Amino acid sequence: MGQYIARRLLQSIIVIIGVTLLAFLTLHLAGDPTYLYVSERASTEEIEATRVKLGFDKPLPIQYLNFLSGMTRGDLGLSLRSRQPALDMVLERLPATLELTLFAMLISTLLAIPIGIISAMRRGTPLDGGIMLFAMFGQSIPSFWLGIMLILFVGLTLRWLPISGHKPVLSLLFEGNVEQAIRNIPEAIRFLIMPAITIGVFSLSRNARLVRSSMLEVLSQDYVTTARSKGLKERAVIIKHAFRNALIPIVTMLGLEFGFLLSGVVVAETVFSWPGVGRLVFNAITQRDIPVVQAAVVLFSFLFIGLNLLVDILYARLDPRIRLR
Amino acid sequence: MSKNLSRVVKLSLFALVIVMALPLLVSAQTPDENTLIIGQSVDVGQLDPATINSRAEANIFFHVFGTLFEIADTGELRPYLANAYTISEDGKEWTFTLNEGLTCHDGEALTAEDVAYAFDRAANPDNGFTGNTSGFVLPSIGFQGTRVEDELNVTIITDRYQTPNLRLALISEVYIHCKDAYEAMTLEESAQNPIGSGPYRFVEWIPDDRIVLERVEGYTLREANFQTQIWRVIPEASTRVAELIAGNIDVAANVPFDQSEAVNASGVAEVQAVSGTRRIYVGFQFGENFADAPGYDALQKTEVRVALQYAVDVPTICQTLLGTSCERASSMVNPPNNNPNLQPYPYDPAMAEELLDAAGYPRGENGVRFETVLMGPRGRYLNDANVVQAIAQYLTDIGVQTTVDIRDWADYSQLVRPKEVGPMFFLGTGGGTWSALYDMADLSGPTAGTNYTNWNNSEWFELWDSLADIRDAEEERAVVNQMLEIFYNDPPWLLLYFQPDFYGVSNRLNWNARRDEWIVIYNATLK
Repeated sequence: MGQYIARRLLQSIIVIIGVTLLAFLTLHLAGDPTYLYVSERASTEEIEATRVKLGFDKPLPIQYLNFLSGMTRGDLGLSLRSRQPALDMVLERLPATLELTLFAMLISTLLAIPIGIISAMRRGTPLDGGIMLFAMFGQSIPSFWLGIMLILFVGLTLRWLPISGHKPVLSLLFEGNVEQAIRNIPEAIRFLIMPAITIGVFSLSRNARLVRSSMLEVLSQDYVTTARSKGLKERAVIIKHAFRNALIPIVTMLGLEFGFLLSGVVVAETVFSWPGVGRLVFNAITQRDIPVVQAAVVLFSFLFIGLNLLVDILYARLDPRIRLR
Repeated sequence: MSKNLSRVVKLSLFALVIVMALPLLVSAQTPDENTLIIGQSVDVGQLDPATINSRAEANIFFHVFGTLFEIADTGELRPYLANAYTISEDGKEWTFTLNEGLTCHDGEALTAEDVAYAFDRAANPDNGFTGNTSGFVLPSIGFQGTRVEDELNVTIITDRYQTPNLRLALISEVYIHCKDAYEAMTLEESAQNPIGSGPYRFVEWIPDDRIVLERVEGYTLREANFQTQIWRVIPEASTRVAELIAGNIDVAANVPFDQSEAVNASGVAEVQAVSGTRRIYVGFQFGENFADAPGYDALQKTEVRVALQYAVDVPTICQTLLGTSCERASSMVNPPNNNPNLQPYPYDPAMAEELLDAAGYPRGENGVRFETVLMGPRGRYLNDANVVQAIAQYLTDIGVQTTVDIRDWADYSQLVRPKEVGPMFFLGTGGGTWSALYDMADLSGPTAGTNYTNWNNSEWFELWDSLADIRDAEEERAVVNQMLEIFYNDPPWLLLYFQPDFYGVSNRLNWNARRDEWIVIYNATLK
């Protein structure tokens, strides 16, 4: 196991170099970022001076090597716009994004598992048909449109939930302000519900279908028939024998799910004015704030790699036939 | 399915519903009578007064930092931190007299030394500032340095004479801050901790969420009517409108015109549409790097460029794509500073065709006179991509087969600055209400950074240079009018309109939107 983890960590360095290089080149391909940092009426001399100030006068390979050299020292540079350490800016907004993605995962998983099981158990019934129709709808609906509709009906017409904004919890916890974090929870959930539904409805629908098909496959296995013929209660058959085995593809999906939700979070963060990493990175890309983009890329790469590793380890726990090499 | 499992499933669903329903019982918050909430689409990048980069930043900073003079909504320049100024005989030195008893928000006395420091700090290349003050204002006035005369008098030294109104307006964009406070901070610290000199003090910045300001009690230079100002960042326009209608914000910037009706019907807020100062036009590219581009040769001919002025139905574009009857442009200068004798070119496609025939570009067998390309941005100006397509269609209708090339603004802007757009390109550039010369400064030289078309009309540039020696306002006006006629008759731009701006304003508020994209709101009151 130790060797496996070490090998995976080594591979992750190559992955991180690859993605940062890709991000770096893509941002520079679009043109000289200097123009985004000078006034509309700046003179040619001012533009040139700004180019030198920002370091864009150096050859691209040198700029990238400087970045890599800084990264090894934990220094991902200063934001070109705000002069703040880029990594700090990403970390500052990470709790808000984590709140949103984790809550969306919670909703989608809590709903997808029972819905998928019910659908599998009631296969071929109108209930099953209704659930599958909902799942198809949930996978087809554009999240941007859904967000606006929720704002219009739930936020504006019914006035049940706040239209936009955010109440911090995780960042307060990280700062050690536990009392305030707990006090914020009810209000924070109010702010979370609509954006979490917006990004979670696709996952909910997909996972419900996955649970259903996985359960259907497992329920037709001989060992389930054997368990039933031994006179076990149906609850024990479903929970202990069927569901545990059906979990393997679902766990795989949950690992990828987090990444999927993170990548989709920019839409919800924009529509609901959520101060998270998605918006930060989106703005950084449009402003060619390269250090911030790179910091986010590095951080997310580590997150993905860590999560995938965790999923692999969970695999082995769920299915002893799987061995990590 | 077993009853137990069914119960588990039902219980988990019920628990989820309860968790989600509980917070519904908490009521929504709306602004109280002491709080003013403004919704803008973008956040500030940082909080150092020397690095203003966008209008959204300037709007907030203007309430935190005082300026020597203030540009009023009418374009008039009125005293603020300074109450008077004198100009040296050669026009190069401007001495400002400060009001007595000024302080910064940390209690430090604000004197002439602090004003000098604010200018010098922004100009100091070691600080590496980018943005409006160091990148535009100081080079535009030919800033050379400062001289402290005494505690209340400070002189700004420049390298040239400049029309007083223009210079004063530019100087009014420099935010004044106190020396001791800023010298005690590193640049990283000053980017987070603004210590101002205006009617509101900075309280809190939650990036991408809000900036909170508190009124400075006892501030006498400006009347600040609300105890608290909250500048919220709400990037999505529909969300801003929903927040406005819900009564959660008092002012929403950049309301989409197609949502004006919903706002007006809400009974909670109304949309104020103002004719903005941003000049929207199609530039004709004269740069030789486009010599091989389709239509380049034709567009070099003055007759062709004049003909195209008649081809586009600007009023219809305004009404249908911008939702209002916008102010037509007859020059590059905003009213009321434009040449009153110039009338906007009317929409007359028959005239356009006649002029193109006469210019030597008759329709071919396929109905096409010549082909060209119109580049344009998406996501920068009001409904920009659709306006570009409409213009291309109008041009195609008169036989100028126009292909559209639309790019996202982030990419497009990087082509505009190095003048790599053409042979025709859609653009909007900011203007002012206080001086014709400010608007005309786009074309301050054949190689000026903002002469995006590379226009090189020698008569125009000779007259521009002659303005440096003119001290008499009437004489200057005559030259300006003459220059605008040259521009009109040998147009480097296809003249379109001044972009309308839409602000959603709560019915509880007395406040009028300005033309120049500034949100100056310290003087707003409750009805």
